[in-house]
Amino acid sequence: MPKSSELQPAFAVACRGVTKRFYHYDHRTTSLRERFIRTVLRRPIHIRHARFSLENFNLEVAEGESVALVGANGSGKSTALRLIAGIYPPSEGVVETCGRIAAIIELGVGFNPELTGEENVQIYAAVMGLSRREVASRFDEIVAFADLGDFIREPVKYYSSGMQARLAFSVVVCIEPDILLVDEVLAVGDEEFRQRCEQRLARFRENGGTMIVVTHDLDSVTRLCSRAIWLDDGRIRADGPAAGVVEAYRVG
Amino acid sequence: MTATPTRRDRPLLVSSSKRSRPGDVWRYREFLRSLVVRNLKVKYQRSVLGFVWTLLNPMLTIGVLTLVFTYFIKIKVEHYWAFVFSGYFVWNFMLQMLSSATYTLAEHASLRRSVAFPSEVLVLATAASRLVEFAVEMAIAVLLLVFAHHHGVPASFILLPWLIAIQVLLAIGLAMPIATLSVFYSDVQHAMPILLLMLFYLSPVFYPATLVPDTLRPFYFLNPIAGLLTLFHDVLYSGQWPSATLLAAVTLAAIGSCAIGYLIFNRYKVLFAEIV
Repeated sequence: MPKSSELQPAFAVACRGVTKRFYHYDHRTTSLRERFIRTVLRRPIHIRHARFSLENFNLEVAEGESVALVGANGSGKSTALRLIAGIYPPSEGVVETCGRIAAIIELGVGFNPELTGEENVQIYAAVMGLSRREVASRFDEIVAFADLGDFIREPVKYYSSGMQARLAFSVVVCIEPDILLVDEVLAVGDEEFRQRCEQRLARFRENGGTMIVVTHDLDSVTRLCSRAIWLDDGRIRADGPAAGVVEAYRVG
Repeated sequence: MTATPTRRDRPLLVSSSKRSRPGDVWRYREFLRSLVVRNLKVKYQRSVLGFVWTLLNPMLTIGVLTLVFTYFIKIKVEHYWAFVFSGYFVWNFMLQMLSSATYTLAEHASLRRSVAFPSEVLVLATAASRLVEFAVEMAIAVLLLVFAHHHGVPASFILLPWLIAIQVLLAIGLAMPIATLSVFYSDVQHAMPILLLMLFYLSPVFYPATLVPDTLRPFYFLNPIAGLLTLFHDVLYSGQWPSATLLAAVTLAAIGSCAIGYLIFNRYKVLFAEIV
């Protein structure tokens, strides 16, 4: 691993020749008993065919860039984001990242309904990889940003889904990662909260953070990002300045 | 390093799509700690008597076992209650680790789908949470043995930390492959209770291993839990130093199973994401 005194690489995120294959099962053996029987009878254990979510995906994002991924449902945007986040490895190719990553992919999935908002913040921040000291130093900021008042001390099971979403978003936004990944959850909370989020994201970009968002809200793309990538059926169809790509996508 | 480093100062952290190493778990130690705290909180903060209930289950079992094997089936063990106490909590620990291994990964499926973290943390968190409870249970058992059985502290008690360490390693080593298998095959969870019941009878939990005929003993001790429990019996119940061979064998088995279990888990971990 290169030392920090050497030159930093030019990228924050790089995907080279990334292909991701998911299998669709016509039949999947889910019990050991069945597997044993099938082995004895010389029958196939699984019957499946591969479906490519992403094919030959090449991407290089420089530090400080903000990129939007747009495309139809099923075009591979969420898959790409999850590959960059490291949730699963690619079937082929390499994903390389430089810096700490925080991803908002499904909101509030780390939440335990029996515990209070405060306790859940601790866990959620910790699952993002923060050390105890970092969690402690960011705690007040997260609670303030979520703006839930006294509810923060109530168990999360009493929260509305909007409140849960706000809490989750606050944790991720205040972590201050090097790379922020957001998957279609920008439309969270009321107008006031959404504006605060966008302000926070703008501040994040000003501080030199790298951002990759997946969104269907094409207006927000030009507001938030400088660059956009159009994914169509697992392949990159366009990659360039946000306004241009959004136009092409609208037309195409 | 007291201040949070700025983005430019932070050392390079170029990660590739390689399999995670044990070092990754260290990075997520705060998450591990939070999971343990969460497990314990969720379990105890809603009930007033809290830990007493957790203790009640094994205590009742020990009570029934003592009753049956002292008065109905008269096993020739002096102070039979002391014998059971010296091994039962160890068995309970293994039992719960193996049971929970079948569902802990499924329980956190949504978390695994949306945040990148080393999944082995989930198994380790179960071990750590149970260890906290085990420590309290063991303290009670040791106190009882010291005051009501040995009337003093035998020197062999000093081996206790070593035995507990072996116990934890063995439990993790057995739990990892079971957890892996449970992700892909749904009947593991259903087969577990029966297997554990058989294991209960085939391990020296409520009878000493000396009752096993000599001819069968080599096969009996293929079960690593048999060796582990015998060690605990020697140290805690008999107050004697265990056989060095047995101690070495079980230690090696524990380390070996932990290494192999970890390898298996890591090998198949990358496929977990396909099972949704």
